[in-house]
Parts: sequence; structure tokens; C-alpha cells
Amino acid sequence: MAVMRLGHVRLNVLSIEEALTHYTDILGLIETSRDPDGTVYLKGWDEWDKYSVILAPSDRAGVQHIAFKVEKDAELDAYRKRIESYGLEVEEREANALPFCGRSLFLRLPSGHECFLYAEKQFVGKSVGTLNPDPWPDGLKGAGAHWLDHVMLMCEVDPARGTNKVAENVDFFGKVLDFGLAEQVVAGPQGEIQAAAWMFCTTTPHDIAFGAGPRAGLHHISFFLEDWSDILKTADLLAKHRVKVDVTPQRHGITRGATTYFFDPSGNRNETFAGLGYLSQKDMPTITWNEENLWRGIFYHTGDIIGDFLGVYT
Amino acid sequence: MSHFIIHVGEAEDSFPCKGEQTVLHALASIHHKQIRAGCHGGGCGVCRIRILKGDFVVGCMSRDHVNNEDEASGITLACRTWPRSHLVIQPMDKLPVRLTRRFSLLQIIPDDRVNSSRDEDVEAWRS
Ligand code: FES
Ligand SMILES: [Fe+2]
Repeated sequence: MAVMRLGHVRLNVLSIEEALTHYTDILGLIETSRDPDGTVYLKGWDEWDKYSVILAPSDRAGVQHIAFKVEKDAELDAYRKRIESYGLEVEEREANALPFCGRSLFLRLPSGHECFLYAEKQFVGKSVGTLNPDPWPDGLKGAGAHWLDHVMLMCEVDPARGTNKVAENVDFFGKVLDFGLAEQVVAGPQGEIQAAAWMFCTTTPHDIAFGAGPRAGLHHISFFLEDWSDILKTADLLAKHRVKVDVTPQRHGITRGATTYFFDPSGNRNETFAGLGYLSQKDMPTITWNEENLWRGIFYHTGDIIGDFLGVYT
Repeated sequence: MSHFIIHVGEAEDSFPCKGEQTVLHALASIHHKQIRAGCHGGGCGVCRIRILKGDFVVGCMSRDHVNNEDEASGITLACRTWPRSHLVIQPMDKLPVRLTRRFSLLQIIPDDRVNSSRDEDVEAWRS
């Protein structure tokens, strides 16, 4: 029984046309379906399921829900029991409640974010197919993002009131969904506050991350690119198209990833991310960053304090 | 396109702004000092301002940060606001002080390599 991966995120966008141009022409995702209300479904060329990103027209930005794909349909019943006995509410939704998916489980994470588990989603296939494939397809646009790699959620932390939704999410993902904790940031005089966490269900350092903020929200969604030169090329592309760049190409200490951050036209932060980082396994000891080294962990080369990197989110 | 002047609060500061330029863009030289700049897309809400005087048009803005009531009272997001006359504006400081104060996540590291224009903010956040 296992959660295989982050299956998709449903994003709220203020203008569907602008968002679509950004995610297809700049990031290189491929449109696979569209609803009458304008909602669009997209996938990366290297992904095989129908979609990994849903863009939904809204009067606010941010994430509407995230969804994880589990291995087998029968596991949903087991997860349902586990979630209930952990003490969280969970509802079963019928097939197609999540478009193009089988039945699903809906729950609110301790942080308040909406989350689905599902086992089946319509198959489309990689752009290069499965028989004697080329390493990449022709006709890719923009960055040619391979796949949705991970998501980082902001979770309410207020030590004065004893609230720490980062720690609560970590507990839930560890105990109920069997995620591993690859890295964490601890803050406070005794390092007693878990202020950020990177968790995995695949073999990469993170499939989901949680950061401390004054309110729940979306910090970023991240797309995988093959290597450092793709990251650099993407940054060129962002400049060329005057996309608001947040962080120019560099390396994270945390997860060791090569990275660039920027904003979509609604202000949702995106990342392009390259490299495995390292092999994550459930028996790997958790890496800890203390407060003094927080910024070195985020921006490894300079260690600069860029408060807005944590303070600006949707 | 016409040029307008943006006056910021009671300060002497004023900035030229073309009609096709956003107010936030025109204030680039004081970003992170008098006004916070974030996503530039109307989503994060850190660039909230109040327009005290003048005409302007707005683009889509997240209702999480500017609701209808706010909008009626002249509150807007600088990154989604274009001037149609000279403007007098006031930044609405919404620094994440709660987070900072509560467990000094943004405290200054004694390292002289850490020295950016944002240090004043960090100072402000610490106090
Ligand atoms: S900078 Fe994010 S809303 Fe204006
Ligand atoms: Fe990331």
C-alpha cells in the first residue's frame, strides 16, 4: 500500500487566458481538456496521466486542492479507515467527482488545505510513447517542463497561541500516508518549533513541503527539468517574456536542488527544479537546519536573508 | 501615453508613471522600503495601497486581499493599478511581523556578506 506521487494541483487563477499562455507557452505544459466554464487541464510531456495541473478561473489566487495518486483502488478503503482513526474527517467521492478520475477520498489537512486521494486517472501517455522512444519530443514550447515535481504549502504557525500546522501536517503525512521526512527547519530558543519540512513518498527529497506563515496558502508549485542548463535557459525565457522572476538560478542547500522561482500572471509562485538532489529512502535519517542557517539552506550560495521569499505567497 | 505623477503619502517622494505602467512598477526605487513588492500579479496582497486622490483603473485582483468594501474605500493593489491622473497614495504596510516577532525567523545573521537593501526591512521587522 502506497501513495505513489503528487497527482495534481488545482490552482485558482484570476485570468484564465493569461494563465493558459503562461503554463503552455512559458512552462511548456500541454492542454488536454477544457470545461465550459474555462477550467483547463494540463500535463507535462513526460507525464502519462490526463493532467497534473488544473487552472480554474477564480476571483482569488492560490491553491484550491492538491491530490495524490495511490497504487490500487482497494487501498482507498484502507486509507479511509486510517484517516478516520487518526481523527480527521474524510468523505468518499464518486468516480468523476475529480474529473477523469475514479472514486476519490476528500479530506482537509490539519493545515486546512483541501486534499484528495485517488487511484485511477484517465491514461494519455507520454509524448514520446513507449515503443523505442526518443529522449524528448519535437514541438515542445518554452521550458518544456517534464512533470509536476512537488508543491510547497504555507501552514499557520503561531507559537504564542500554540499553533503549529507544519508539525501537525508532518505528523499526519508520516503516520497516515507513510511519507518520509527528508529535511526540516527548526526555530525557537530550543529549536522546539518545526518551522518547515520536506517530505517524500517517491525517492526524491520531497514531493511536498510545508512552511510556516501567518495564514494557510500556497508557497509554490514546482516543475521538473532535466539539468542545470535547462534551468538557465528557462530563466532566459522568463526574462525574454518579462515574467516576474523571484529568484534567479541557484542551488538550494535544502534538497540540493537547482532552482529558479517566478510568478504566474495571478501571482502564484512557480519553480523549475532540476536534479535528483539525493536518493531518499524511508530509513534515511532526517536532515535538520537550525534557525541561524535557515537562509543558507534556502539560498545556498549567498545565504542572503530575503524575507519576502517566505512572506510573499498566495 | 501620458505621464502622471505618483505622490507617496506625506513624504516629498514623487514618481513619474506612464499610463501603461503599474503604480508598483513606477515605485521600483522604493520597493521593500516604503512599499513591499511581491508577485506583481495581484495574488499575494503585499503591495496594498490606499489611493487618497486621483483617478485610476485596476486589473484583476485577488479578493482575499482587496474585497469589494476595500475597493470602494480606495484600497487597491499597486501591481494591478494604472494611473489615469496624478495620484496621491499611501502604502498599507502589511509586513509579516507576527511571524517574525514570534520566533525571530528573520533575525539578522552576523555575517557581513548578508547586506542587502532589504536590511532596513529586517531592522524594522525586528523592532
Ligand atoms: S505584488 Fe502581489 S499583489 Fe501586488
Ligand atoms: Fe520547491
